[in-house]
Amino acid sequence: MIEISQLSFRYREGADPILKGIDLSIPDGAFVGVTGAAGSGKSTLTYAINGIIPHCYPGDFYGSVRVDGVDTCEASLTDISRLVGSVCQDIDSQMVSSVVEDEVLYGLENFGVPKTEIPARVDEALAAMGIAELRDRSIAELSGGQKQKVAVASVLALKPRVLVLDEPTAELDPASSVAVFDLLKRYSVEHGTTVIVVEQKIALLSEYVDTLVIVDEGEIRFCGTPHEVLEHSDKLLEIGVNCPRSTSLVNRLRARGLVCGPAVCTVEGAVCACEGLLSGKGACA
Amino acid sequence: MIEFCQVSASYDGELAILRDVSFMVSDGDFVAFVGTNGAGKSTTMRLINGLLKPTSGEVLIDGVPTSQLKTSELASKVGFLFQNPDRQICCKTVREELLFGFAAQGRAGAEAEAKVDAMIERFGFDGDAEPFLLNRGTRQLLALASIIVLEPPIVVLDEPTTGLDFRECAKVMEVVSDLNARGTTVVMVCHDMEVVGDYATRVIAMTAGQVVADGATFDVLRDADVLSRAHLLPPQIVELSMRLAQEGAVSPTSPVACANTLDGMERALAGEVGVRGKGDAK
Repeated sequence: MIEISQLSFRYREGADPILKGIDLSIPDGAFVGVTGAAGSGKSTLTYAINGIIPHCYPGDFYGSVRVDGVDTCEASLTDISRLVGSVCQDIDSQMVSSVVEDEVLYGLENFGVPKTEIPARVDEALAAMGIAELRDRSIAELSGGQKQKVAVASVLALKPRVLVLDEPTAELDPASSVAVFDLLKRYSVEHGTTVIVVEQKIALLSEYVDTLVIVDEGEIRFCGTPHEVLEHSDKLLEIGVNCPRSTSLVNRLRARGLVCGPAVCTVEGAVCACEGLLSGKGACA
Repeated sequence: MIEFCQVSASYDGELAILRDVSFMVSDGDFVAFVGTNGAGKSTTMRLINGLLKPTSGEVLIDGVPTSQLKTSELASKVGFLFQNPDRQICCKTVREELLFGFAAQGRAGAEAEAKVDAMIERFGFDGDAEPFLLNRGTRQLLALASIIVLEPPIVVLDEPTTGLDFRECAKVMEVVSDLNARGTTVVMVCHDMEVVGDYATRVIAMTAGQVVADGATFDVLRDADVLSRAHLLPPQIVELSMRLAQEGAVSPTSPVACANTLDGMERALAGEVGVRGKGDAK
């Protein structure tokens, strides 16, 4: 369980707080998506969960963040990192090795995982990300997307209770992005791992997450199921968050009185709504 | 004009990243390269601006092989936006960054200063700002501005919208679109199929270092075989229209089945419902 209570934070060099009075409760095993315009504070929110603030970036920290009862202000970064695995936005800043296998090994060895367990963990993590064939490749020769997969595999190998990923699919192709979200969802269900993903790809978030959090100017503006949040497509647009086009289409049809029912989050939902409209069953009275 | 004639390429001389690739990009085209990670798209971009030379075959820019052109000569013909703007930005102020290319090409002077001033005004930059203190979207715009201020006839963009939010993405792509409308040839790698559908007029799909499709944007993005071979997902409205036709909700030649855009689909659905309503009334 992650409990964030009245969290405010101002970076030391910043004039204004980047987070303002955030309250958020995330149950174990939840799959949470966080999105918002650039500079809204979404990455900083994840830094509060994995302890990067206040441990690495000093500033004014108010309120509390507890992960499994551990106060992230009081615990050491090492202890937090045993609970919370993180994938950074800037993949190159996360890489410490020159070869893929060594990168996955690095965390396992530093966490003192027994040597007998390590080979299986490396195999499992590389296979889960579909990059077993990259095992002996030089990281410098990989594409941005391939590096992103290596970074996720390195964290998965550590089997953390909470996974925090900052735009893990930014450089991935659409099929690989879906594969990563498939994997994260499956991993979350199978291991009871809480997954928190910051992502600009709202269509992906809408399809996969249980809870969608929209951050705007340091505050949580919307928090709920994707269906609940995407009801507010006009307000989302005002704060720089676009909706999936299938959502926008059905919201427009609803506004014209052509379609009834809740907002849709996926193409599948739009297919159902349009089929209902075309068959005459979905039209509003 | 860009021509690839049976081009193969490798970084280490052993592993072929590109294999026997041929295509031609005419002046004024807006081409998007799509495909999976590792398909060879970024490698293709590096071959266009001469950062990489082919191991076999030829890359020609305006009829001249890149192997015969100096990097400085190529740079004046091909502007290149890196995937990560932080790999590109190297100066202490926005103004210096915008002037950097002119100095590197030996074109510093009053004309360069005037062009930089105009660019600062057009983008609303603070010329004295330190680039690395700007947010990611503004750094991306600065990197783009520092290329287009040099007015190259070709711009190559390696994933220009990666990591940008919706508004930043729209701003960058509006600049690119305007550039193309004024005659600049645009070649970009892009994973966002909505952006590809909105802006590119031609798509080249790659997989495993080879071209698997080359055609008008929606011809490629509606080709089920290409989508499967290149592991592509079409834009949502295209997927919706294809699904509605496949499932028999509309005729395969109806406006709904052919709609590619949000506005187009809304109009087509409203029209289809209107036609059916009139049919029922009769």
